[in-house]
Amino acid sequence: MQGVLGVFHELDSAVHAVEELTRGKYGELTVFTPTPRHEFDDVLARPKSAVRKFTLAFALLGVTFGYWIAIWISDYWPLVVGGKPVASWVPYTILGFEVMVLVGGLATVFAMFALARIPRLTMTVGYDPRFSHGDFGVWVTTTPERTDDVIKILTKHEAGEVRRER
Amino acid sequence: MATSAAPHPDGVMRPNVPSATVRLPAVKSYEQVDREIIGTLNPTLGWFAALGIAILCLLVGILSWTYQIHEGLGAAGYRPPVMWGVYIISFVFWVGIGHAGTLISAILYLFRAGFRTSIYRLSEAMTVFAVMTAGLFPILHLGRPWKFFWLIAYPNWRLIWPNPKSPLVWDVFAILTYLTISSTFLYVGLIPDVAVLRDRETNPVRKAIYATLALGWRNSDNEWRHFTRAYLFLAAFATPLVLSVHSVVSFDFAMGLPPGWHTTIFPPYFVAGAIFSGIGMVFTIALPIRRFFKLQHYITLNDLDAAAKLCLFTSMVVGLAYLTEFQVAWMSGNPVEQEYFWNRVFGQWAWAAWIMIICNMVLPLSLFSQKLRRNTTWLFILSLFINLGMWFERFVIVVPALSHEYEPWKWGGYHPTWVDYGILLGSFGWFFMWFLLFIKQLPVLAISEIKEVVPPAMRHHPGRSEGSALPGGAH
Repeated sequence: MQGVLGVFHELDSAVHAVEELTRGKYGELTVFTPTPRHEFDDVLARPKSAVRKFTLAFALLGVTFGYWIAIWISDYWPLVVGGKPVASWVPYTILGFEVMVLVGGLATVFAMFALARIPRLTMTVGYDPRFSHGDFGVWVTTTPERTDDVIKILTKHEAGEVRRER
Repeated sequence: MATSAAPHPDGVMRPNVPSATVRLPAVKSYEQVDREIIGTLNPTLGWFAALGIAILCLLVGILSWTYQIHEGLGAAGYRPPVMWGVYIISFVFWVGIGHAGTLISAILYLFRAGFRTSIYRLSEAMTVFAVMTAGLFPILHLGRPWKFFWLIAYPNWRLIWPNPKSPLVWDVFAILTYLTISSTFLYVGLIPDVAVLRDRETNPVRKAIYATLALGWRNSDNEWRHFTRAYLFLAAFATPLVLSVHSVVSFDFAMGLPPGWHTTIFPPYFVAGAIFSGIGMVFTIALPIRRFFKLQHYITLNDLDAAAKLCLFTSMVVGLAYLTEFQVAWMSGNPVEQEYFWNRVFGQWAWAAWIMIICNMVLPLSLFSQKLRRNTTWLFILSLFINLGMWFERFVIVVPALSHEYEPWKWGGYHPTWVDYGILLGSFGWFFMWFLLFIKQLPVLAISEIKEVVPPAMRHHPGRSEGSALPGGAH
């Protein structure tokens, strides 16, 4: 993978650079920001995170398991009290709810890890420690022929530093 | 995780998700945020002294427990008819403390309450350590504590499973779920901040530890996109969880038959009390941190004012619950209920009930005064009274009911022993030991979220350019 990294100290410069790079379709863009900045959301127009699908699926799985384990235990060791049903759904709702939250919550986090590609063993190219501090980074994966154009755009928008990486 | 200053297609500023009302005028730059918050991680003599005291208290607790294991539960002051005492009281107390953290980090997040930004990290840590403390008490309460795992549902050689209709089994599910989700919530929120520490750390050992904990976080737009979504869903899960956990704890009592326990008011009453006590403990912890770490321009008087209003509101809900209990007993026409409540307030346990009423109902009314809401000394003193009052609230729920049941010949008293007090002291030592270790290893304020409140550096004069995503005049 090769590309160009632009380091911006100012938010507006980075946004303008991303706007122009997006319009020109120079390659895959990755923006690094010290904190989530929605200024980039509209420009990059990424699809909605799919985390929600995992949350829903595993929450349903969890609630099913919560009810099932309680019913199974009751049937395995029946305690008949006052002729009432052995498996009683009202108290089992507590177990169903708790297991739903547990499984759904953990699935949400693991889905986030998987979709965001973490844990990451190496920082890969295109990252600079300044991006967790306060600077904004724009990494463009592009072909060798278009590299100079990308550098020109990043420089035009007053990137503090522009460098090729591979 | 907050999101800030999102531009709307028609040019109207969409408000920050949780930070709409946060203003930190004395915080000027991202560099200042990093420097000042990371600066709190340097150990000081005062910190070592506080940690030493906490460990000493913990040792007293361990010694007391060792003695109790050797002598049996009788060493703890359990005498018929009162067979639930300090341990169950402290269990409910610590679970309650653990509620404010998730309330502040999850519920206030969903409600866009901006004042949470500066206090949510320490509240979340407080939650995790409080629930860790609470979880010890049911084990301490067991005659044979080494058999505690019998409560967990798993395939075993005994071919015996826990009874899923028992409130004690509900407790196990609820508390373990709460501990897991609270810890996960704390850790997920910490990942971007640990990445900041990783990138600034020079000590190779600490850097390696931070790098492992940060999971290779790079602050990319893809990571933030999934992160903010996952954080939102975690908050959405944690919100009903907060309400459910203390409701389940209240079922330990409400499912029982002693007078004063068997009422439907218990779940909301317990939840309001838990949030109230948790906010009290947040003040107890946040105010010294604010002062000793010189974080007055992060945890502002406005934040404290807003938290104090929440404290006042929950105090009034709790007060209403106290009064409703009396009304229910009065209108029930049940002489046993009426006798029990009379005994609680004017009889054997009047001293405890009045401590509860004064600390939880009367003193918090002072927060109607804005001057006192913004007086940190008063807030700290009040928080100590709230902690005391809420411990006694649980005392008043547990002990008078058991000591004054249906049959007069069974009535009795309760006298905690030094073992009870030793273990109670040890629980505070355990809690504060973990908290003190936390605040010197990980940032006590959420670095990346506070940065959202701070205006970013801008090169050009603020003004919305044609077709630009930048919010004009926002900065």
